[in-house]
Amino acid sequence: MHLIVTTPQGVLYNETVDYVVVSSKNNGDFALLKNHAPLISAIDVGYLKLVKENQQLFTVIINGTLEHQDNVITVIAQEAHVGLNKDSAMDHLNQVRQSRLDENRRRNIDFLKAEKELKKNIREARPSRRS
Amino acid sequence: MGSMREIKHRITATQKTSQITKAMHMVSASKLKKAERSIRAFRPLTEHLSDVISRVISSDIDLTHPMLEARDTKKTVYIIISSDRGLAGPYNAMIFKAFEAYVKKQHKAKSEFVVAALGYKAFSFAKRKGYPLMLDHSIQVRDDVQFLDFQELSDRFIKAYLSGEVDQIIVFYNKFINTMNQKVEYQILVPIEHNPTIETKPKAGLNIMYHYEPSASTVLINLMPMYVVNMLYGMILEAKASEHAARMTAMKSATDNAKDLVRTLQLHYNRARQDAITIELTDIIGGANAVN
Repeated sequence: MHLIVTTPQGVLYNETVDYVVVSSKNNGDFALLKNHAPLISAIDVGYLKLVKENQQLFTVIINGTLEHQDNVITVIAQEAHVGLNKDSAMDHLNQVRQSRLDENRRRNIDFLKAEKELKKNIREARPSRRS
Repeated sequence: MGSMREIKHRITATQKTSQITKAMHMVSASKLKKAERSIRAFRPLTEHLSDVISRVISSDIDLTHPMLEARDTKKTVYIIISSDRGLAGPYNAMIFKAFEAYVKKQHKAKSEFVVAALGYKAFSFAKRKGYPLMLDHSIQVRDDVQFLDFQELSDRFIKAYLSGEVDQIIVFYNKFINTMNQKVEYQILVPIEHNPTIETKPKAGLNIMYHYEPSASTVLINLMPMYVVNMLYGMILEAKASEHAARMTAMKSATDNAKDLVRTLQLHYNRARQDAITIELTDIIGGANAVN
């Protein structure tokens, strides 16, 4: 069976697998094997365990949908990350998210700081112009 | 007209400005290409998601979700998507003008709506006008915008809608038509009852019997907020492309204007130079005549 994981940044995973285990906070765990009936599910926070020739890979998913039809599993996720085990993949994704949030916060502060400085400079420049 | 030195100084300053605007034009052009690529890449994802939702809804006629049903509008959330920085021509001013006109027409009191600002410019506009704000800080719309960037805001308005605190969510943004044209549009994000992309009736090709894990209603409950956020993300991408296009056009005309100004100043400079030479010549001839 074929698995395609897509995020807005592009296709993250597009490979053939033996079977997939889907685990999510909202729905619990279930497995998808070859010739499974057509299925639709939603994942809030969870992961996919991809098994291929006794090798495992984990894809952590945040807000995604899963559709299975004709042995093709299509996963559309807002955020996803592949790792060798679920903890490392989740840790890495959390790290990336945290650094992004920190960066956003820093940018916001910079804007406010620059605006305050500009206002202060304008205030200081005004009396000197009059004199 | 000033002295030769003054004119020369102005020419140099204008040339430097035109160099900056030209560079900004080129940066915006390359960012626009990137933004257009993101829009193209994201469209199939939204289509797939609406397809999935159509399938879920059409599987059971009784299946419904608060986000699919319109209710009496007592309070509205307005999401304004603007840029973080200026120098983008009328890009931000156009949205704010359209929004102000709409609000004046639709609402009598400020308590009837709340503004969710995306982008620093929209935030400072709403603050300046004294509109009620959903968040007390601005949400940045970066060039490489991600869901995570506006998750704080989306979580807040989805929660407010589902709890019945607000009854409608409308987005104001600049729709990207082409490089020269961007149109201010407002779109009702929630409720989604009139959205043409979601089919509520079964249609041909959708007659495959799907299993829903754990159930169709649970899947719908999880999918609807996701779909709304995806729609908003699509609009942000459009707005981002419009911003780059607007900045590109503005910087192009600024560069052209600077070039015209340099040409005019050069003419004045030449005239001033000629005048100086004439004066010098007159002085020399006058001096020579006096000696003779």
